[in-house]
Amino acid sequence: MAQTTGRVVGAFTASHSPGITGWPERAEPAKRAAVESAFAEARSRIDALAPDAVVAVSVEHFTNFHLGNLPAFAVATSDSYLGPVTKEMGEFLNVAQHQYPGHSRLGRHMYEFALESDFDPALVEGGLEFDENFCVPFKHLDPESKYPLVPIIVNGVNPPWPTVRRCHDFGRMIRRAVEAQTEAQRVVVIGTGGLSHWVGLPESGQINTEFDRDFIGRFESGDESRLLSYTAEEIDAAGNGAHEIRTWLVAAGSVQVPFDVLAYEPVPEWLTGTAVAAARV
Amino acid sequence: MYSLHKLLWDIRKDPDLADRYRADPDPILDSYGISGEDRTAMRELDFKAMYERGFNPYLIYFCAIQLKVDRADYYAQIRGEKN
Repeated sequence: MAQTTGRVVGAFTASHSPGITGWPERAEPAKRAAVESAFAEARSRIDALAPDAVVAVSVEHFTNFHLGNLPAFAVATSDSYLGPVTKEMGEFLNVAQHQYPGHSRLGRHMYEFALESDFDPALVEGGLEFDENFCVPFKHLDPESKYPLVPIIVNGVNPPWPTVRRCHDFGRMIRRAVEAQTEAQRVVVIGTGGLSHWVGLPESGQINTEFDRDFIGRFESGDESRLLSYTAEEIDAAGNGAHEIRTWLVAAGSVQVPFDVLAYEPVPEWLTGTAVAAARV
Repeated sequence: MYSLHKLLWDIRKDPDLADRYRADPDPILDSYGISGEDRTAMRELDFKAMYERGFNPYLIYFCAIQLKVDRADYYAQIRGEKN
């Protein structure tokens, strides 16, 4: 019997503030409970989907790349990834340092398929290490690190950034790539980052709830014209960290359906408008 | 911009370089070819000046943490509440 081709069976998005795992107790108890309950709900939905691989989309915070070589997009094809990058970061995030499994065959296919689809991501064959980008949300979403990952990095940390439309297109390409292979039958896409926050800036600790709620409205509506109309300046109003919503756009492009936001809480103690969402697949 | 951006990143990645910078910044600033107002800002750990000169806030902040600057002190300085 011929093997069937892969499918994107689910997509999820979540914030990755270090406070979520590093100092959860500093948030108001009701906010912490809402966020952790949303993560638990997302985790049980992911487990129910029984993925063969997870395409994990995030930014990285100058842990691997720097201004001597900063890709707009990068696809990693390794069979394992160290995270958190240092023991000290592990203590800061309250995540034990360990190796995350990688799905190198799907990663290699993703990279080749991207090139054939007129995308030109950087190839990261090895050496990619994780910071809060994956370590924080995956502590809740896959605490045993049982799902092999294809990490995809989007530049959300230094202007100029890829446009939101390009990010969405990249997500659509991910779905076509998954459907053009047979190695991984059931694939879940997880985008992490955002929402509003400022890193290293005078506004740090503020939350732009107006931006966040408007973004959530667009994300839940599935109305792509509204979701893809953001300019870099509009995102900047919600902080340099808000540019990480590009990872949500990639996830949205991979399924092209509305999402349900399972929780949104402005948490100044975590310095972030904190949200978890699941695609209505 | 690049020389100081490179130093900020290298300090983030290399604890030994961070220790050496804290002990004696000038030879390191020399070796990176950092001069003028960029050098003054970095030598004095004037993070606010670096931010105003257009350096990436993530890199400034991460470098400050690696140089054992207290987070609250960093933010007080970047907000102009403290020199």
